[in-house]
Amino acid sequence: MSGQHALHKIIANCARPKSGKVTPGTFVEIEPDVFSVILSPNGSDAKKLMADLEELGVKDLPLKDRIFAVSDHASPAPTMQLAASQKLWRDFYRDKGVRVFDGGAGVSHLVLCEEGIALPGTLGIAIDSHGPTMGAVGMYATSLGGGRLTLYAIGRYFLEVPKVTLVKVHGSAKLARGVYGRDAALYVNGKLGQRGAYGNAVEFAGPFIDGLSMDMRFTFANMGVELGAVASYIQPDQTTLDWVKPRAKDEFKVYDTDADFKYDQVHEVDISGIEPQIAVPHKPDDVMPVSAVAGRKVDQAYLGSCASGRLEDIAAAAAVLKGRKVHPDVRFIVTPGSREILIAATQAGYIQTLHEANCIVTNANCGACPGLHGGLLSPGDVAITSITRNFEGRMGPGGEIYLASPATVAASAVEGRIASPVGYV
Amino acid sequence: MKITGKIWKFPQDDINTGLIRKQQYNHLPPQEQGKYCMETLDPTFAGKAKPGDIIVAGNNFGCGSSTPAYYSIMALGIPAVVAESFGKLFFSNCIGGGLWPVACPGIIQMAETGDVIEIDTDTFVVRNLANGKQLTGQALPGFYRDMIDAGGEKAYLKRRLAKQA
Ligand code: SF4
Repeated sequence: MSGQHALHKIIANCARPKSGKVTPGTFVEIEPDVFSVILSPNGSDAKKLMADLEELGVKDLPLKDRIFAVSDHASPAPTMQLAASQKLWRDFYRDKGVRVFDGGAGVSHLVLCEEGIALPGTLGIAIDSHGPTMGAVGMYATSLGGGRLTLYAIGRYFLEVPKVTLVKVHGSAKLARGVYGRDAALYVNGKLGQRGAYGNAVEFAGPFIDGLSMDMRFTFANMGVELGAVASYIQPDQTTLDWVKPRAKDEFKVYDTDADFKYDQVHEVDISGIEPQIAVPHKPDDVMPVSAVAGRKVDQAYLGSCASGRLEDIAAAAAVLKGRKVHPDVRFIVTPGSREILIAATQAGYIQTLHEANCIVTNANCGACPGLHGGLLSPGDVAITSITRNFEGRMGPGGEIYLASPATVAASAVEGRIASPVGYV
Repeated sequence: MKITGKIWKFPQDDINTGLIRKQQYNHLPPQEQGKYCMETLDPTFAGKAKPGDIIVAGNNFGCGSSTPAYYSIMALGIPAVVAESFGKLFFSNCIGGGLWPVACPGIIQMAETGDVIEIDTDTFVVRNLANGKQLTGQALPGFYRDMIDAGGEKAYLKRRLAKQA
């Protein structure tokens, strides 16, 4: 019998009935440790959910203490309609005794890790496609389509036990000037494509990952979603523990992958010597060196999202902007990923630098990333941004989205055209 | 059960949730989302599609967001989508909502817009009535079947809670 992956051990631990071993490709009923939900923009969904729970006779949510509602999309509410739907959801959660992180806390996946709620070895479910971001701390974090009613009513849902794709990233974590973790992640996305880990969990490992900071591990785990993966995983090491331990609200256990575990697929990617990378409209895997599209005029620059809204990201942009100004034809919006990051960036002086360069700095939230507010595009607008994906129309119908590292975003904001940050830092 | 309907083919791979229904319409009541279905790929689609029609698509249909983009398909009265493969979130979303997602590798080669196909939801045999060709799609795991047979998550839970009581 071949061995098990750490992820399978995590799932087995949350299986109900508890199971010693789970088999990839089968479905198991699980009880999650963490269930992360957003204040959804859809108010009619809230009304339906409440009516359904009533009809089913459910008064208390069995998972009440493990559900965390985060107001990250469209927060604070930009329209009457969204305000109304957020109110419905907020009232519902408060009424049920669910903890609500209201406006300004940040993006759910980052907040739950920073708060020490999403921990190594735990199983987390998010009603949000970028839930796998939390896999950066070494947990099984997956997204859910459907299942909310079941989780509220009986506290359990079904999970397909995934096969695991190993992506070994070679090269030194000390990258060339102007090249960052996000460039390496984009490069991997370009190499493996939108179905590179389709339906599997993806584990990132190798010398490059070993040397990565936690901030950039979040970036990598996040971008696993754009490979079609259902979960991302980075095996916890000293870097993880140093980051997690002072935050942990609970005890946790680090699981290891058995030496004889057989990966479904193994990809080796060498990022040595890469230049700054960019994904061009409208596919997150249409990736090329920035130099290939340098000079394209941009209308908006946007730094933020659960992929690249961390302190290192803001630091990289501030390094480019120090003593410079954003091009007068460009609006450069910076949305930190969480309040913790915003505070740290303020203390480090980065926010001051951004203000002096004429950036628009917002509260921590998803901002313009889901195309709900905070810097929407108009048809014909070209944006250079660090968000997660550049699907057609995501930041506003008719807009063009180029994905790049925060430093490339900042350099482009200065020049008013897509530009490499290499000469700036 | 058999589902029979005229098909609309979207042969592209990786049709994401934003192409099925733009994120900007996320907040609308489900039944109002139909008129925006597939808007970016074919602005005339919502006007042409009739209740009972079926969508046929390429690989990774519905990749992307966890938002219930399938609302816009159901709002048009479309009972099933047959695709080479599906984005996982979209797939499970459909089941909870009662829309049949049928993964059927080879379907793109076998059917054209305007053909009538028949899906047997017990055997997952998909037959093109226009040319007689048939394929067997991937069977749904047991509890998914129970859920979609029952008519979605609520109906499933009713049965389950009744059994426990
Ligand atoms: S930042 Fe963007 S990708 Fe991340 S959760 Fe928010 S909307 Fe989704």
